[in-house]
Amino acid sequence: MNELKQICKDVLTEKKARLIIGYSEDKNKKVKPYIARTPEDAEKFTFNHNAVNNLAVYIPRFKNHFEGKIGIVVKGCDLKAVTALIQENQVKRENLFIIGVNCSGVVRDTDKDFSKDNSQIKCKYCQMKTPGYFDAIAEETIEFELTDDDQAEMMAKIEKMTAEERLDFWNAEFEKCIKCYACRQVCPMCYCEQCIAEKSTPKWIDTSATPRGNFAWNTIRAFHMAGRCIGCHECERACPMDIPLSLLTRKMGMVASAEFGYRPGMSIDEPTLIGSYSTSDKEDFIK
Amino acid sequence: MEELIISTENFKKIVKELQEKEFRVIGIPEGENKYQEITVEKELSLNSEAAPAGSSFKEYFFPKSEPIFFYKQNNGSVDLFDPIEDKKGIVVIGAKPCDASAMPIISKVFNWDYKDDLFNKRYDSSLIIGMSCHYKDDYCFCVSTKGSPENTKGSDVFLTTLENNYFKVATITPKGEAFVKEYGKHFEKDEKKHNPVERKEAIPEHFNYEKVKTWLDNNFENKFWDTAGEMCLGCAQCAFVCPTCHCFDLVDEQCGSCEGRRAKNWDACQFSLFTKHASGHNPRDNQEKRYRQRISHKFKYYMDKFDDILCTGCGRCARGCPVSLDILQVVEEINAFAEKS
Repeated sequence: MNELKQICKDVLTEKKARLIIGYSEDKNKKVKPYIARTPEDAEKFTFNHNAVNNLAVYIPRFKNHFEGKIGIVVKGCDLKAVTALIQENQVKRENLFIIGVNCSGVVRDTDKDFSKDNSQIKCKYCQMKTPGYFDAIAEETIEFELTDDDQAEMMAKIEKMTAEERLDFWNAEFEKCIKCYACRQVCPMCYCEQCIAEKSTPKWIDTSATPRGNFAWNTIRAFHMAGRCIGCHECERACPMDIPLSLLTRKMGMVASAEFGYRPGMSIDEPTLIGSYSTSDKEDFIK
Repeated sequence: MEELIISTENFKKIVKELQEKEFRVIGIPEGENKYQEITVEKELSLNSEAAPAGSSFKEYFFPKSEPIFFYKQNNGSVDLFDPIEDKKGIVVIGAKPCDASAMPIISKVFNWDYKDDLFNKRYDSSLIIGMSCHYKDDYCFCVSTKGSPENTKGSDVFLTTLENNYFKVATITPKGEAFVKEYGKHFEKDEKKHNPVERKEAIPEHFNYEKVKTWLDNNFENKFWDTAGEMCLGCAQCAFVCPTCHCFDLVDEQCGSCEGRRAKNWDACQFSLFTKHASGHNPRDNQEKRYRQRISHKFKYYMDKFDDILCTGCGRCARGCPVSLDILQVVEEINAFAEKS
């Protein structure tokens, strides 16, 4: 952690970045997003198993507000969101100062210690413990063992359902939705200045938290994430109603990967799935 | 009136009788973290040591979406229809003081210039049975917002936890008195003199709400606001789980080719759309201003207008915040400024 603090202090002292988005710990030991603007501020930075947030969500917000580079502390999984934002032209690589951290997994329940049973689902099949590229990296790390990917079991179970059973399953989940839009706000890829849920001329989807409105919102968000979701699962973590949203986004990602061999956030030079085409693209999904 | 007690088992019998009389009984079932309609009386749990449920029970009085009227085009004119009224009375059992005390607070805004019939019909025909609280975590601060774990505000009947799954029964309102009389056979005299369950740890007073209000009165432009809410992502988790947040939006929605409904939906001041004018101008054009609004409405504007704090200190907003923005720590900081000045 001292290494991370030192890197951040140096970056701010040498003005390599105007500010750094990282994590700090409050008096209740809750790790939360924090912005340092001076080397003294950087003293508050921390990183541990409780650093769950994907800080890339703040990049679109700050890109227009400040001149100079934005510094950002990223775990391997979060870097995929940064990469995807660069791929989608939301920020330029040269406008970022990326400070990587080696991650040893993050918790699911922040009130309990990190363990095999208390880790985020994404950590269970993580292949990105070290960020793929960076301007600086805090190397210190503790190894952790991957545990069973129990979400894959759930996905297999849902896939075996009939269309009607699946609809019942999702309707029961979506019924809980209160339209707080935490899933949207916490998502680094949900950066639209005007969300489809806010359009009124014409109004595409019901804004009411009714079964009809909830179904429309949650399915349309899942579709907008197809081939774009980088799998940070922040939507599911933020949902106050415990809707298993990452089941949907992960499935869409698997479809994009199986059908087009594309995974978002893997390379800043790769064209996006939606923004490119190939004559060899399969068309058998159009029925 | 002599002191009465009741056991959890007998309370379950009352639940059964209420259900037979077609009341909607709202409580927290064993092992659950949500207020819900109790359909099987055995599910009722009265656990004063449990953490506050994920959301408050306000949705049973002020639903997340409810129709105000339906409309139908009819040869150039429009016919209006009232929604079907739910005539079932609501009985909330085992409400935490931080939830029950919110009801009279939000009732003020629903009965200010316009009397909100939809809310009032439900509230007037309801009975709220509060229960003393033995929970405490880093987010609880009811004592700082005029409340306490034994606060009876908003309850018609109040239960204090005793040993051996018994509760001491206090009637707070005439409605509560009538209830205890009607179901009198299930209550008993405290002949064994059960001891109350003691709190392990008191909830401290974290801030002085009057000092906080005075600071807010004078510091609308303070630079504190530039960073206080800057990490807020602008979702409405905090407002929608809050027992006192009551803002709503009115929308017209289609339900059929020539039919529609006008609905009253939860809305929240942290959404950028909340204050956006038709012209495109937005007086609260960044999250920092919107966060200032949230704090000021709770600890200043509502006190100015209704002489009540728009916060019961339940701490839910902070427990569930995706970026761990803790209202208590923010107000504590304001309190520290107030003490210095």
